[in-house]
Amino acid sequence: MDRKTLDLEGKTIDEAIEKACKEFGLPRERLNIEIVSEGSSGFLGIIGSKKACIRASVMSFDLAMEGDRDNEHEQKIETQPVPQTASDPMEATVADDNGESLAVKAKEVLHGILQRMGLDFPVNIDETHDTINLRIEGDGSGLLIGKGGQTLDALQYIINKATNKNGKERKRIILDTEDYRMRREKTLIALAEKLGQKAKRTRKPVTVNPMNAHDRRIIHLALQDDKQLMTKSRGEGNYRKIIILPAKKN
Amino acid sequence: MKDLVKYMAQALVDNPDDVDVSEVIGEQTSVIELRVAKEDLGKVIGKQGKTAKAMRTILSAASSKLHKRAVLEIIE
Repeated sequence: MDRKTLDLEGKTIDEAIEKACKEFGLPRERLNIEIVSEGSSGFLGIIGSKKACIRASVMSFDLAMEGDRDNEHEQKIETQPVPQTASDPMEATVADDNGESLAVKAKEVLHGILQRMGLDFPVNIDETHDTINLRIEGDGSGLLIGKGGQTLDALQYIINKATNKNGKERKRIILDTEDYRMRREKTLIALAEKLGQKAKRTRKPVTVNPMNAHDRRIIHLALQDDKQLMTKSRGEGNYRKIIILPAKKN
Repeated sequence: MKDLVKYMAQALVDNPDDVDVSEVIGEQTSVIELRVAKEDLGKVIGKQGKTAKAMRTILSAASSKLHKRAVLEIIE
C-alpha cells in the first residue's frame, strides 16, 4: 500500500503531533505516529534545546478518501494520489512558450461557436503563464451561463479540448461572462459557511450536493482554516460530493 | 444549429473533412445527426460521454434562444 508519511518537528511531541493532525487534516486517532526523537528543553530552555521529531502517516484504511483534500496542503509528499485533478483535462497545465497562438486559437474557436449560436458578443483575452482567461461581454441574459453554470462549463470544456487538441503545449482556458465565476465563488463560500455552522450545531456530518472539481475545491478551501470542521470528498465522477464533518475533540 | 454542431465537431477532431452533419427538422424538435471518421468517434464522445454532453448542452442553449429543441445524435 502506498502510505504517505511526513516527518515533523515541534518543541514537544504533543506539538509535533498537533502539526501532523493539521497537515493531514485528520484527528489524532486516524494517524500513525512514530516518535523519532523526543525533544528536550535543554538548559533554561535555551541552551542545548532539541526539537521533538515524529513521523506521521495516515492510517491506511481511508487513504483513498483523503486524496482530494490533500491537494489543498502545500507540503506535499512525492507519491500522493491526486485522483481528481489528474484526470480532469481542464486542470492540465504545462508552461509553454507558444502561448500567443494558443490564446488566439482559443478566442477563434469561442468566437466561431458564439457566432453560430447567434450570440456574437465581444471577447476579451487575458493571459498568464499557464492560463488563458476569456471573458465574454454578455448581454446579461444568462443564456451563456445556464443552470448552475452548465452552459458556461460546457463551452469551457469544448474550447479546452479544441485548443489543446494537438499538443505538447497546453494551457488551461477559463471562460467567464458577467463575472459569473466570482459570483459563483461567493455563493459557494456562503453555502460552505452555512453548512459548516449546521455541522457544528448538530455535531453531525453534513453532505453537500455533488459538484465538479472546481466547485469542491472552493468549498474545501473555504473551510480549511476552521479547526472545528473537516471536509472530505466521497463518491466517484459526477457524483463526487463533499462531506463536512465536525472535528473530533482530542 | 447544423453549423454550430459542425463547427464544434470540426474543432475537436483530427479529420475535419470527414465531419458530416445532417438535420432532420421537426415542428418543435430537430434531430441533428453527426458523423465523423471512425478514429475520431472517441473525440466527439469523450470520456464518459463528457464531450458529447457538453455539445448537447451548448446546442440546447442555442436552440432555446429560438424557442426550439434540438437533439444531437452521434451516428457510428
